[in-house]
Order: sequence, then structure tokens, then C-alpha cells
Amino acid sequence: MQLNPGIRVELQRTPDDASQRHQLYVQWLNARVGNPSILQLDVVWTPEFAAAGWVLSLDRYGPAKSEFFPATMAANTWAGKLYALPWFADVGLLYRRTDLVPREPRTLEELVSDAHSAMSRRGGPRYGIVSQGARYEGLITGFVEYLGAFGGRIIDDKGAVVVNRPEAVRALEFMRDELYRWHVAPLDVLTWHEEEARFAFQNGNAAFMRNWPYPVAAMSDTVQSKVAGKFAVSPMPASGTAPAGHSTAALGGAQLAINAYAEFPDAAYKLIAYLTAPEQMLERAQAVGQYPTRPALYDDARLKRGIAIPLDNARRAIESATPRPVTPIYTELSEILQIELHRALVRQAEPREALDAAAAKINALIERTGMRKLMAGSSSASGT
Amino acid sequence: MRKVSRLGSEARLGWALVSPALAVIALIAIFPLGWTFWESLHLHELRMPWLGKPFIGLANYVEIAKDPRFWAALGHTAFFTVVSISLELLIGLFLALAMNRVFRGRGFVRAAVLVPWAIPTVVAALLWRFIFESQGGILNALLVDAGILNQPMVWFIEASTAWVPVILADVWKTTPFVALLLLAGLQNIDLSLYEAAAVDGANAWWQLRHITLPLLKPAILVTLIFRTLDGFRVFDLIYVLTGGGPGTSTEPVALYTFNALLQNLRFGYGSALSVVIFAITFGLALFYVRGLGVRLGGEE
Repeated sequence: MQLNPGIRVELQRTPDDASQRHQLYVQWLNARVGNPSILQLDVVWTPEFAAAGWVLSLDRYGPAKSEFFPATMAANTWAGKLYALPWFADVGLLYRRTDLVPREPRTLEELVSDAHSAMSRRGGPRYGIVSQGARYEGLITGFVEYLGAFGGRIIDDKGAVVVNRPEAVRALEFMRDELYRWHVAPLDVLTWHEEEARFAFQNGNAAFMRNWPYPVAAMSDTVQSKVAGKFAVSPMPASGTAPAGHSTAALGGAQLAINAYAEFPDAAYKLIAYLTAPEQMLERAQAVGQYPTRPALYDDARLKRGIAIPLDNARRAIESATPRPVTPIYTELSEILQIELHRALVRQAEPREALDAAAAKINALIERTGMRKLMAGSSSASGT
Repeated sequence: MRKVSRLGSEARLGWALVSPALAVIALIAIFPLGWTFWESLHLHELRMPWLGKPFIGLANYVEIAKDPRFWAALGHTAFFTVVSISLELLIGLFLALAMNRVFRGRGFVRAAVLVPWAIPTVVAALLWRFIFESQGGILNALLVDAGILNQPMVWFIEASTAWVPVILADVWKTTPFVALLLLAGLQNIDLSLYEAAAVDGANAWWQLRHITLPLLKPAILVTLIFRTLDGFRVFDLIYVLTGGGPGTSTEPVALYTFNALLQNLRFGYGSALSVVIFAITFGLALFYVRGLGVRLGGEE
């Protein structure tokens, strides 16, 4: 680093697969290994690492919190303290075939009817809406978006489990109805991850797709994509029938945090500050298309070269982003939800029944892990 | 050697000579087992250091006993084991009888039969996944072309259909192994017995029931013991093919344990699950050896 010639940075490779990387980190930190001194965290890990005492609070360095998207700050805050800075943001987006559906749907109900009419056109696509519905974390990100669209949440501000409230049941019913009642989503999505959805959309087989920003580049390439120049991106809409519903995007992305056992935490922070500075974010956007976590940059013309979709749409999507539940027990909570949501979507259980079961299990998890006491200590268990 | 005085130096030498082997067994089998058991008596969540690592007695075992997901997983494992082994034994016996005949190219056929067995399980599972995939899957294409299905079927979203590729893949992969074990048993049967039976006017079916099967019993039991223990530990095949889904309706105990231990990093609870799996397989092995008289050693 030329700004700080005294600091030498070494890169350490970690597995690309998120759960493998997580497992590796947990093993290192249980053994109190101080290397690497900066950890790249998935957005849902920060509270877990913070509560475990594995990463340092960054408050002592006084980062300018107001310069980042609020959702990214919320996701990295535990017990009122900030533990990581967002490096880049990932956000759930709605892809639309502009040749089939010229106008952006304003509500979820419009999305379904648009999908339906696109499918019934002569030569229309086989599928209306494709997404990732296999039993894994991707299913939760999709659910969070429907949940917000109906005004529901998983855990409320007081830390109560509200995932079986009527709004949530309606959200899950809506997801199920897309499959079995309106037939706008193929049953195949229940086994799909991001890539299968992308293949379907990219090959011209779907009118809409819910996905992250990453496919934009490949799909704009006329050699491999049948939809190059024929698609647009917007935030997922809210339900038109739920007064408390709001357009919601699941928030993803990478965070940078300081290993609690690091030998030189101050030097580590200097590097984090450098990597999350505006100039660096612009450069990363141009080099690899990653979305900056600073709203101000979306007014910067230089960003256009890196971000393939209109900057305003990108910013709107991130502004409507909601963190998944910000809690140290997120991973297990997510596993419970993955199973129960999937049971409802493959029709092994009614949505109401599945969400009641999920709520009961999440409450038992909170009991078992002593989270009540921990959450009482943390002022805001925010998030969805 | 009933009297201690007769133990003498010879016995001591004997113990000294086997002690390295015993030490190795203790190190690689008994010590990890003991440690796992000790771990299973603790609350130890690697991701939740604030809970500490208190001794909680049998609480993990109580949690297992109360967890419907565990009992369901046990049921899935038993179902998988019984169905796949029955099919493998039936088809394997048929193959073994065929391969036991003298015909041209017998050596080639015996080698060819082994091919599925030689393919790593994960690769085999991926192959079967491709075959059963809803979009562009070979099976769906064939069934639609043949007019059996109107449209491609999504095999992996219903429990009943998700088991089909799992069991087929296991049968496809493991039947050759079963066939070879049975073939080895068949070759130990004295051919003169068949000649004598034929002279006495016994037909082929009688010969199969009264000569082949009784004399094949040891080989069948050895096969059963191997396959049952394998079946109870089934992991990779299901991990790749269904991931335990839809919901958790194809999840075996090994996958459930993997999840608790390596995904959720619940070392105490996961260790308790491992001990339970160990106890079950040990019990099964004991049942076969004691109850059915399988001879694993060479003593005749």
C-alpha cells in the first residue's frame, strides 16, 4: 500500500463456498488464530462473530456510518456496536424481459398477471417467473422479499418471533400460489439455485427472474445470451393488497471485519478504511462489477462504466434492501426456515402450519442458545 | 490355559507381540470413540462460545430422543437400507448365478459388471442426478417421447418420487459388489453335489433351494452384514442427489448428524448423534454375528 508504506498485506485464500469458508473461520477462531487479521464476512455472519467475541468493534476508529447504506450498517451492528464495514453490496433484483413486458410491474399482483400474459402470448416463454427455491439459503432471500412485500417480518424489533403472523402466512401462500394456482412459476424452481434460474432466463424461457446483480454481464453478452438488450432490472415490487407491505430486496454482500486475535488491529483497520473508500469502490465496480455500499457514489458518472443497469434502479434496490434477521444464531434459524418453507412449497404442509412449526422451533432455538439474555443486552435486534 | 501358573513366559511373550497391534487399535478406534462419548456429555457449540462447555450428562441424548427429525431420519435410513439391500441381493444372486456358468467371455463379463462399483459414489450420484433432472434430464425426455408423461416430471419435489433415483443409484452401484461376493460363495460349492442330485432326478429349482441357497448362506450373511452397515451410514449418495429433501423427507441419520456436527458446529449434540449411530451399527453387527451366526473369521 503506497499510502501506508509500513504495512505489508498478504492475501490468504479461503474456500469460495460460503458455508465451507464459515466452517474454516470458526475453526480458526476457536483455536484463537490471529491470521488473517481481516476477515471477509458474509452479511449474515457479523452478529454471530461479534457475539462470540471473534471480531473487534470498529466504533473505536469512528467510521463515518452515515456514508453507507443504512441497511448495510444495520446488518453489521450487534448490541449497538458496529463490527464490520460493508465492502460491496449484493441485492435481490427483479429481471424483466422488456420485449414481453414493457412496463415495470408496480405490485406483486401485477407481476403475476404480467407473467401470465407473457406466457400466454403466441411464442411466449415457457415460464413466467423463475427464481431459486431449492432448500438452501437462497430460498430465505426470496422469502424475505415476499415477506417484506406483505409487511411481515421474521423477528420484530423487540426480538419476538413473528414469522407465523398473518402477513407472513399470506406471503408464503402467495409464493405457493405462484406455483400451483396461477402456474406462473415452474415446479422446477423448487430444486433450483441461482444458476438454473439464470440459464432459463438467459435462454429466453422466462418472462421474469429474481436474482442477484451478477448475471447482468453474462446476459448482456450477445454470444451466449438470447436476451441481450431485451431485459431490464428493477426492485421487487410490494403487494398491492397489503397496506404495510413495502418493496423489499434481500441484502447480501461482503463485509470486512477485524479478527479479535489479530496482532496489529490498527493496521488492519487502515486497510479496511482504504478498501471501503469511495475511490476503491469505484475501481472495484469498474473491474468486477461489484456494487458500492455508499449511496453518494450512485451519483458519480464513473460508476456507469461498472454497473450495467441504470444507477437509479440499483440505488432504489439497495435502499429497499432489508437485512435478514440480525442475530448470532442466524444460520440455525435459517436452517429451520429453509426446511419449513420448503415443506410448504412442495405441499407437505400448509403455509400456516409450516410457519407455526418454524416459529416454535426458532423459539426453542432462542431458549436453548441463551439468546433471550443476549438479546436483552443488545438494544436492537433489527432486520426482517 | 486355565491356570494362571501356566500362563508363564509364553503367554507374556504373546501379549508383548500383539501389543503394538492392540495399541494401534486403541489409538485409532477406542480413543476417538471414548473422546466422542465424553464430548457427547457436554454442551459444546463451537459458534456460541458464550455458552461455555458445561457438563450436561445425558441431556444431548434426551434431546435426540425428543427430536422428531431424528426419528424420521432413522426411519428413512431403515427404509433405504431394507429396500435397496433386498433389490441388490435379488439381482446380485441372479447375476452371480449367471456369471457362475461356464461361457465364452466370462472373464470379460465379470470385469464389466464391476464398472459401476468402481465409479466414485459422488460421481455416480451426479450422473443419476443428471438423468433425473427435470429440465433436459434424459429420463424425462424418454418418458415424454414414449408418451408415458405429458410433460417433464420434477422427481425431487415429492418424497415418493425422490426416493426413486436414490434407490436406483444405490442398486445400480452396489449390486456388482453383492454379485461378486455371492459368486465367490458359489464357487466354493462342490459341483459333485449337483451331479449327485441330478442323478437322483432333482430339477434345477430343487437344486437351487436345497443345495445352492443353504451352502450360499454364509456368503449371503457376510454380504448382508456389509451392506446393512453401509446402508445405515449412507451419506454421499443422498447428499448429492436430494440433499435430504424435499423438506427433510429423504434425510438419513448420517446426513442429519453431518448437519448438526459440521454445518451447525454443535459438537456436543453431534457427538451424541455419532454415538447413537455407532451403537445402532454395533448392535446390528452383533445381531448378525451372534444371532445369525455369520462367521467373519476363517475358523470352520
